[in-house]
Amino acid sequence: MSVKSSSKSVLVVGAGIAGIQAALDLAELGADVHLLEQTPSIGGRMPQLDKTFPTNDCSICILSPKMSECARHPGITLHICSSLVSVEGTAGDFNCRIKEHARYVDPDKCVGCGVCAEKCPVKVADEFDVELRQRKAIYRYFAQSIPSNYVIDAAHCLQLTKGVCKLCEKACEADAINFKDKDKFIDLNCGAVVLASGIDPHNPIGYGQYGYKAYPNVVTSIEFERMLSASGPQKGHVVRPSDGKEPGRVAFIQCVGSRDLERKHDYCSSVCCMYAIKEAVIAKEHSKGIEPTIFFMDIRAFGKDFDKYYERAESQFGVEFTRARVAKVTPADDGNLRLHFTREYGKRDSEVFDLVVLSVGLEPREDMAELADKVDVKLDEYGFCRAVPFEPLNTVRPGIFACGAANGPKDIPESVMSASGAVAGCARFLALERQEKVSKKEFPEEKDVVGERPRIGVFVCHCGINIAGVVDVKDVAGFAGTLPNVEYTEDVIYACSQDCLDTIKEKIREHNLNRVLVAACTPRTHEPLFRETLREAGLNQYLFEMANIRDQCSWAHMHEPELATAKVKDLVEMGVAKARNLFPLQKLPIEINPKAVVVGGGLSGMIASLAMADAGYEVCLLEKESELGGNLAGIRNTLNGADPRELLHSTILKVEDSKFITVHRNARLQSIEGYIGHFKTTFEVNSQKPEAKSKEPSVEYDHGVVVVATGARESEPAEYLYGKSRRVITQLELEKRIADLPRCKTVVMIQCVGSREGERLYCSRVCCGQAIKNATLMKKMRPGTDVYVLYRDIRTYGLAEKYYGQARDLGVVFERYDLDHKPELEPVDKSDPDSKLKVKLVDFLLDKKIVIEADLVVLSAAMDAPKENEQLAKMLKVPLNKEGFFLEAHMKLRPVDFATDGVFMCGLAHSPKNIDESITQAKAAAARALGVLSRKVIEAEGTVSWVNPDRCTGCGVCVKACAYAAVELKEMTMGSKVVKTVAEVNEALCKGCGACAASCRSGAINLKGFTDDQIFEAVSAITT
Amino acid sequence: MIEAKVENTIGRHKDWQPKILAFLCNWCSYAGADLAGVSRIQYPPNIRVVRIPCSGRVNPIFILKCLQNGFDGVLVSGCHPGDCHYISGNYVARRKFAVLKTLLEFMGLEPGRVQFSWVSAGEGEKFAQVVTKVTEDVKKLGPARKLVRNLEPTETKY
Amino acid sequence: MADVEQVLRETVRKLLQEQKVCRVIGYARGSSALRSTPVFIEDEKDADSLVFDITCGNNLTQYLKKCGKAGDGRVGIVAKGCDGRAVVQYIAEGQVKREGILIIGIPCEGVLDHRKACDKTQGREVSEYRIEGEKVVLKGKDFEVSLDKFDVLSDSCRRCRYPSPPVHDVFITEPKEAASQEPECKEFDEFEKLDASERWAFFENEFSKCIRCYACRNACPMCYCEECFVDQSNPQWFGKSTDLSDTMIFHIVRVLHTAGRCVDCGACERACPLGINLGLLNKKVEKEIQERFGYTSGLDPDETPAMAAFDEEDKQEFIL
Repeated sequence: MSVKSSSKSVLVVGAGIAGIQAALDLAELGADVHLLEQTPSIGGRMPQLDKTFPTNDCSICILSPKMSECARHPGITLHICSSLVSVEGTAGDFNCRIKEHARYVDPDKCVGCGVCAEKCPVKVADEFDVELRQRKAIYRYFAQSIPSNYVIDAAHCLQLTKGVCKLCEKACEADAINFKDKDKFIDLNCGAVVLASGIDPHNPIGYGQYGYKAYPNVVTSIEFERMLSASGPQKGHVVRPSDGKEPGRVAFIQCVGSRDLERKHDYCSSVCCMYAIKEAVIAKEHSKGIEPTIFFMDIRAFGKDFDKYYERAESQFGVEFTRARVAKVTPADDGNLRLHFTREYGKRDSEVFDLVVLSVGLEPREDMAELADKVDVKLDEYGFCRAVPFEPLNTVRPGIFACGAANGPKDIPESVMSASGAVAGCARFLALERQEKVSKKEFPEEKDVVGERPRIGVFVCHCGINIAGVVDVKDVAGFAGTLPNVEYTEDVIYACSQDCLDTIKEKIREHNLNRVLVAACTPRTHEPLFRETLREAGLNQYLFEMANIRDQCSWAHMHEPELATAKVKDLVEMGVAKARNLFPLQKLPIEINPKAVVVGGGLSGMIASLAMADAGYEVCLLEKESELGGNLAGIRNTLNGADPRELLHSTILKVEDSKFITVHRNARLQSIEGYIGHFKTTFEVNSQKPEAKSKEPSVEYDHGVVVVATGARESEPAEYLYGKSRRVITQLELEKRIADLPRCKTVVMIQCVGSREGERLYCSRVCCGQAIKNATLMKKMRPGTDVYVLYRDIRTYGLAEKYYGQARDLGVVFERYDLDHKPELEPVDKSDPDSKLKVKLVDFLLDKKIVIEADLVVLSAAMDAPKENEQLAKMLKVPLNKEGFFLEAHMKLRPVDFATDGVFMCGLAHSPKNIDESITQAKAAAARALGVLSRKVIEAEGTVSWVNPDRCTGCGVCVKACAYAAVELKEMTMGSKVVKTVAEVNEALCKGCGACAASCRSGAINLKGFTDDQIFEAVSAITT
Repeated sequence: MIEAKVENTIGRHKDWQPKILAFLCNWCSYAGADLAGVSRIQYPPNIRVVRIPCSGRVNPIFILKCLQNGFDGVLVSGCHPGDCHYISGNYVARRKFAVLKTLLEFMGLEPGRVQFSWVSAGEGEKFAQVVTKVTEDVKKLGPARKLVRNLEPTETKY
Repeated sequence: MADVEQVLRETVRKLLQEQKVCRVIGYARGSSALRSTPVFIEDEKDADSLVFDITCGNNLTQYLKKCGKAGDGRVGIVAKGCDGRAVVQYIAEGQVKREGILIIGIPCEGVLDHRKACDKTQGREVSEYRIEGEKVVLKGKDFEVSLDKFDVLSDSCRRCRYPSPPVHDVFITEPKEAASQEPECKEFDEFEKLDASERWAFFENEFSKCIRCYACRNACPMCYCEECFVDQSNPQWFGKSTDLSDTMIFHIVRVLHTAGRCVDCGACERACPLGINLGLLNKKVEKEIQERFGYTSGLDPDETPAMAAFDEEDKQEFIL
């Protein structure tokens, strides 16, 4: 298995969210990452999006910190405006040639002021704004571009095409324009390559019947997204292209370029249902007058918390959902459009809308085939880069991995997971060593500010119009200037943008600032970014304070601008008061024990263990059952024909063979104590032999990280005569018996049993695929069997869609039902529950009740989170969601992390998912864990408690209040005599909650960063 | 002249906006407040938030200080029982809060002035509801008079 | 009482003789007939100066911190019920070590509230007094008054549930049983029935008398901080002025800081030169802590004090 590698360099092709995540994770492992991007900025598609589902997080807001981190990370080299030329060699020793295209602007000199673009006479359609706006021939890709420099578009520049102009050169005071710039070829020796080249949105011009480009008020969803965006061409005001009027009725047409066999797009793009719902909801938020209707075939809200979002869109936001395929769009009066469609029950109908949005699908990039050629990897029939069964991130060429939408349509969290997962694959091909130092990055020496008078800089963020649209930002900045100790104040468009961060550093130097307050979004996401900026400017990072004036003000008080502005002033004044009292803090280094515990020996747990073991780290794998394998052991077939038994056996074999993995079957977890780098897990191994009554002693295991892979299980249905009639079984039960099932004339499958209603308002995700797989198999085994699938929505998302088509071609009958018309079951012979079953339901197409006599009824039972999760969650101090699945640190960008450091999750413990998705997430969790394991030392937080021994009476109330045993009473002696007993804090154990400080009567114990003083000053700053 | 003055006073009273100080724990309630914003759930703009790591960080003295400083109401919000990021910070806090609330109400402070809630990171909606309720309660009570610095004693005689 | 005193002196003498203790903290006759003063007895010959009667109101526990720590031997302390509970609380809070203290339990009939006595004698000096059943007879120059004992007892003694220390090493005569439940306290119950504005007005009125002399704090055995929050300047928690809000908050915090620790010895009230009703708030809080958390201070040195503990099932009806 070992590969000889001399290189710790790795090439990541494409700098969208997947490429960024891969680059960051690789860099955390200590690799030298070359991140290649075709456009002039990293970021990919995400910056084009306004919001993200299902949390409505602002896309750029959550991406910005990652982009900045990428740009700052000492392990990452950005190659923008670049393309891949060739990849020679073999895994561990690739020779990659890349071409950096001439930009004609010296990035070291350009300050991004934009004067050049003002002077440039050439206007070009702006590709970032999907041609809704124009840019100049010298331009910045988008407002928050990273790097933030301008570049020249050689194809349109007058100087470069016709040899006349040079206006930009004359205008540039920084002397940054260089028309002599040349394309450069760079050769890199890399151990591995990650393809994260992303997708293109489908161009709907081929759908002539929808009138795209023929009628101005037909737009694509990506155009609509830009219209919604606060920083987009319409500043977030939704108006019609034809007349600039706000639309009333807006129609979304789903599956444009998806689920379409004619165009060889017979796959589902996976994201359009959710983004259409999101766009509808956001549009509605922007303007109450908008009435969105979504025309769809199936709503595929299959992801975590998606169904709740769908439900909320309908019930709270009044988004209308019409199940119909739109046949054509014709012009109506006044720029309006008439949609012609057939209702589900067969009636032809038409309705008039003010604006039509085409929910365009995702397709492989135009140049994907070319790229695949250069890299010598295979693509599938659609052009996505996937080839190896059960290795969703591998290409056919060892050492080259594919992630993000390049290997199939996926949303942001799945892209992030696949990126991290690809990193786990790379690790083996890179010559990596455990990292000695905390940070590769060198920061300037910290200036000693102790004893200095506070000199505070205040930066008030517009966040485009997110804040400035409600709050009078300029007024606030002016007000901040009047506060004591505020030496400098400025209002900035995007505080988190690279140029603003540079401005902050500049102002710190220029004005000798020793404290900084940024009034912007939430410190929960952005504090680290600004703290690092302070470090770069030579200030201790804790001399920073944030006022949350967006998430907790402008967004929450959108209709009360004056009161919102007053509130912001108060928040700024309180922030300044706290900032005035800040003092520098230091972080304690924590050594990392380079071992892992994986809880759960199902597929995910095994894959995660193997990935960590592959990188050379010791893993203790705990399985509560007597066998490894979890749910996989019950699966006999897959949709695409790959053999899950083979996967199970080979994986177990690899786990058992690994010298780094110790497997404990029948293990019962007793406790997990400690913290990142220093966990101690105690478990019991119950003897398998029944005669051995005596209890085995508990085992203690010290380790540095934990991966939670506790899985989920098929629930026991509480309806449809399950357990009452022997003819009613679940899909998993069918799976086990399918090969030797007695001949059945008619089989009825019922979908969503227990899912998407009541307590389980979520989609169990795998059941549609599972039902179609089993239905197909039954049809193939005995073509004479009638198989009915009763469904609410068929959710064969992604590349599984084609199997839905195949099942229909084989004659499987799909009948829809809804919650108001659930199928009803009764035995033909009422006295014999095991007699054949009558299944009654309403046929929507025929609009009448039908009865199917079934020999067998198969229920697609909901996936349930195990009850034991609760106990584990408490041990690890991590949260569960309402349904009992583990709740990640961030739904979009941290899908395998917990808020608690050193703890990761994967597989069904996170939410229902299929085999490939579990493998991907398991590898992702392993990669994130490797980011910790691969360091000898990390740093603790600076916000810890400390004791003033003079005030301490040794009463011990703090000791009792501390849940981490971080406070102890120690005797202070003078010679042999005990002078005093006082409390002492172990900084490595202290989590910084402050319960000790709040309990202390004598003010002897205090929490750094949240001291009594600081809180007192904050609450005393604004009172009347 | 006198009429104008009266009108003015009434006008001022009508415009009176209470100020409420809210201590929110970083991991649940503060995140819940962020979620309310992200979800654009609207609530009254009367609260001023102080972010604290945990509701367990709240020394009852902080609450008294807020009242003395003239805040018309104080809200402390933490994680639901069992959800505390610091395991038991909210439990330790709960005892303190119970005693403080009992004591202040025994003395005769209006119950609406000092309130407590549990709001999780996923409860943007609940956060907005809590803030709305606390604001309405405080509005009904009118400007704070008790424990406020430099105010004359209240007029009720014992 | 004479018997009790005799036994006390004899016991102390013996303890010192046998070197079971190196020092005993007790009471001696004070500057007047109705006053006692704390005394430290180290020599058995001095044991005769010990007294114990209705005038022995001081809570001696606070002296333990000063002389009970040094490793020079065990310290005996004459302990009424409340003193004994304070000692238990000290042990629970790590202020003294159990093995360093010898608790000399003594039966308590309640102690005199000088202010009440003074009211009855119109401020005239009392030169001697005697107990006659449930009566206290006060005698001075040209006068003698016989009073119901109950009327001149400290408020805290009137509602005392634990007249004898629940934990003791020796006992002078026989310990008295603790009352099976909280004794009735009419004043308290009636006060609770007042409406909020009346209660507030009452406390405003009481605390507006306060001159911030801190006699209450100094007398309190549980106020043993090295530097009281009110004296701290970093942060300066509250103003030191007699602004009513500052004063009231001082008293509120004093109660919060003694919550779950107060043994209701009444030392604060007796120490107050202005006769402010200080016990009422403490009483309320201790009652609440008993009802809510099932905890009573000073009974068990091994029990975690209520405010340093929690129960996942604690009531939370007040939380939204």
